[in-house]
Amino acid sequence: MSWLSRLRNALRPQRLDEELADEMRDHMERRAARLCAEGWEPDEARRQAQISFGNVTKLREQSREMRLWAALESMLQDTRYAWRGLRKGPAFAVTAVLSLGLAIGANTAIYSIVDAAMLRPLPVPEPERLVTLAAPSIDQPGSKKAEERESFSYPVYEQFRAAAGDSAHLILVGYPNRVEAQGQKPGAPVEKVTREFVSGDAFATLRVPPAVGRLFSSEDDRVPGGHPVAVLSHDYWQRRFHADRAVVGQSLRLAGKTYYIIGVAREGFFGIEPGKFVDVWVPAMMYDKEAFTNPGWGWFRIAGRLAPGATREELQARLQPSFHFQQEETIKRYSTMPPAIQKQFRELALRVHSAASGPSKFRQTFARPLWIVFSVAAAILFIACSNVASLLLARFTARSAEMAMRVSLGAGRRRLVRQLLTESLLLSALAGCLGWLVARAATPALVGMLSRKEDPVQFALAMDTQVLLFCAGLSTLATVFFGLLPAWQAAGAQPMSALRGASGQAGKLRMGRFFVGVQVAFAFCLVMAGASFLFSLRNLFTVDTGFNAHGVAVIGISSDLGKILTPNEVQRSLTRMEQLRDKMKALPGVQETAAAPWAIFDNSYWIEQVILPGKAPSEREELFYHISPGYFSALRTPLLSGRDFGIHDLHATKVVPVIINQAFARRYFGADNPLGRTFQHPSGPTLVNHQVIGVAANAHYDDLRREPEPMVYAPLDGTANFSLYVRSALDLGSIARLVERETKALGSGMRVQEITTLDTLVGNSVLREKLLAGIGGVFALLGLLLAAIGLFGLLNYSVARRTKEIGIRAALGARRSELVLLVLKDLAAMMGAGLLAGLAGSLGAMTLLQSLLFGIKPADPLVIATAMSVFLFAAFAAGVLPANRAAGVDPMIALRQD
Amino acid sequence: MASPNSAQTALDLLVLTILSRRSPLHGYGIASAIQELSEEALRVEEGSLYPALHRMEEAGWIAAEWVVTENKRRARIYRITRAGSKQLTAETQRWNSFSNGVARVLRHA
Repeated sequence: MSWLSRLRNALRPQRLDEELADEMRDHMERRAARLCAEGWEPDEARRQAQISFGNVTKLREQSREMRLWAALESMLQDTRYAWRGLRKGPAFAVTAVLSLGLAIGANTAIYSIVDAAMLRPLPVPEPERLVTLAAPSIDQPGSKKAEERESFSYPVYEQFRAAAGDSAHLILVGYPNRVEAQGQKPGAPVEKVTREFVSGDAFATLRVPPAVGRLFSSEDDRVPGGHPVAVLSHDYWQRRFHADRAVVGQSLRLAGKTYYIIGVAREGFFGIEPGKFVDVWVPAMMYDKEAFTNPGWGWFRIAGRLAPGATREELQARLQPSFHFQQEETIKRYSTMPPAIQKQFRELALRVHSAASGPSKFRQTFARPLWIVFSVAAAILFIACSNVASLLLARFTARSAEMAMRVSLGAGRRRLVRQLLTESLLLSALAGCLGWLVARAATPALVGMLSRKEDPVQFALAMDTQVLLFCAGLSTLATVFFGLLPAWQAAGAQPMSALRGASGQAGKLRMGRFFVGVQVAFAFCLVMAGASFLFSLRNLFTVDTGFNAHGVAVIGISSDLGKILTPNEVQRSLTRMEQLRDKMKALPGVQETAAAPWAIFDNSYWIEQVILPGKAPSEREELFYHISPGYFSALRTPLLSGRDFGIHDLHATKVVPVIINQAFARRYFGADNPLGRTFQHPSGPTLVNHQVIGVAANAHYDDLRREPEPMVYAPLDGTANFSLYVRSALDLGSIARLVERETKALGSGMRVQEITTLDTLVGNSVLREKLLAGIGGVFALLGLLLAAIGLFGLLNYSVARRTKEIGIRAALGARRSELVLLVLKDLAAMMGAGLLAGLAGSLGAMTLLQSLLFGIKPADPLVIATAMSVFLFAAFAAGVLPANRAAGVDPMIALRQD
Repeated sequence: MASPNSAQTALDLLVLTILSRRSPLHGYGIASAIQELSEEALRVEEGSLYPALHRMEEAGWIAAEWVVTENKRRARIYRITRAGSKQLTAETQRWNSFSNGVARVLRHA
């Protein structure tokens, strides 16, 4: 019977019953007809027919079982047999299941992240018709090179919407950012939520329906500042409001403004950016008023849905003239723009990307590292498979007498292979279950490694059917890889030679060597990669930052002032900052404090062109940073000459004093003494005059991977929000309490937003390197361990096989050391080829990884030497026991064997 | 396959032989054919015929299919497969040597 009909029988036993009943009835009818023909009465004939048939039910039962169970039974039998086999070698079974399980778990965990971050389409209808707009970045010396520019301004957005016509519907989608929120209930907690501005038609265009209430319409997005309404995400609604339908109509304080909740978006929709969970959406019109007229404010992405039949190329062609016109406007606005940059602006071509799986900052930063981690995990799987394969090989060899017996009793090779494969399948099924558990535990931990408190990364990590299928598929694939070859080899046992005990086992040993070689090669690659990532991270941490981050707390402080301050408010905010600084500085344990509009390593920038007297504006734009007096002593950045700012410098208007760093001095003043020199920077239509009053040592501003950039430190300016640096011997908790107390005491609307350390901020800038070093290190260790187990297993087997030979040598007077050497030679032979292949492979891989490494050469002697010695140490450890065993062979016993 | 001289083997042998000559046949047809050919000496119990048929089908020696009979009823008919023919040859040989052996003993004892 075919497999298919068996399956059908098993799934639909009722049908089988009917068939059997039909067949029996047919038989009885024929007999009754025959009896009738022989002259019986019809009724009597039927009765006779039934009698002769006997117990129909029992008969049916028997046949049914026969047809249903025979197949299952043989499978069960194989499984039972395999289970017994595994239980006979528990050490083998545990090793195999553990190593395979870890490897499958690692792969599944990483796959589920890759799937959520890069592969899975957005959970909206027809995601393939969604697009986002982007422009290539301008290559300007001095400014940070971005991949692409995807921020647009409101005037540009309106022009694009008109230009797109009926080919696509464009929407505005802001960047998710963290703001304080508070519900209307008395005593409701103030917490940080992720807020996103969207145009009124965004939900309708994405085709996201409400779960409760209604979502925005164009009517909710007409007048700047006129629509204080909010939509909650399903997740936030459940988390904070316990899925209470009465939230519709309630108020919600968001970043100091009151909004009214009008609805909740559909479950499972978190916004269009994978990695970010939006909690609250508000209409774009609630953004700062200036943002709707100023073409220089790029503060959102433009997404859209193509009309049926329209293509991305078509949309691009429609938008390009409008885009070109805007670039010309930009050039006109910046009168000091160098010609080379102007040319770039004129030649820019707008890009229309598919947004089927959403735009993602996370993807841009982590795409390459994730693929690398994925291939590292794949390498681990290869190692684990080879490991289990070599273990299986040794095991099957130990059972070769049994195999030979069965072959001579007439078992076909195919049947034996099936038997052995069942064992492998059972192993990988167990390993798959373990892997599933590992993945469930590891995935959230892995996402946690990528996430920061201020900028949480979250994924809809449904451990869904697709991931489950991946896990199961991987397990099956692994079985084929590690189980088939050994099984085929073992089942080909030559009965005669095997039974005689003189094994034709050279072939098996050769295959064992192959598997061990594969392990050695992959494991060495992993060790090399792990070593480079770890060294790379160490190099980053030993970079001379130009400041001492240790013991510096960074406190973000917000106030009730708006984004644009009146001159009056500027003075008021400056006074507050100074007051807070003084109060904090007076506390015992606090050494120095400083204020700045934002902290370094916080991805905020102010860049300007520099105009030296009598010269054209610089091509480069240089970094400017506002600081209060005391900044250099708080961060321990040496002031090389001149003086620090004083309080009076904060109020200078005609000529603003500045402190420059060495890199700036060298670039613009060469070998001359820069003190007292002047320069200007353009600020809108006017120019601001500066005079150099001090030179500071170079310090990193945001990126440890690059040399320190030229920098201009300018005196602190009044701003609504600012960061306070506090150098002290106190722990972060005490500082938090003290700052909280002092800001309360000062009143005037200041609030503590977040508290962290400068160490943390610097550490966050190398998050990617930390991830790679962490995962690379762990996987290198795991690979090493597996390879060592593989080496140990094969050596042990080889020693066991050569016991007689070793015994003879020992009897002939070979010394212990010679016997040990014999085993070590064997070890070297096993490793040699694998090590060479691994070295070649890893050097190739190194060139691919180069862009993710820091301070590591493509063939770095330190990395290679470290990897080599770690590896040789592990190999030596694997060889000690077998070598000892060889040395301890008793000639008398060895020679009497067999 | 059970021991070569069991009743089960004998029944298999009979069924395979019948099917090899007059295939395809339904269960009743097989039973009647055995009865006829043995000149009423062998009567096959339905209680052992159907399990045997289904067992042999499972072993792949015979194949079955459903047909619709002249009076519009479903009937299951069996035919011998290639594996079945091979089995038949082997079993026939074995049976012959077995029965020859028995016959010799009976004759000379």
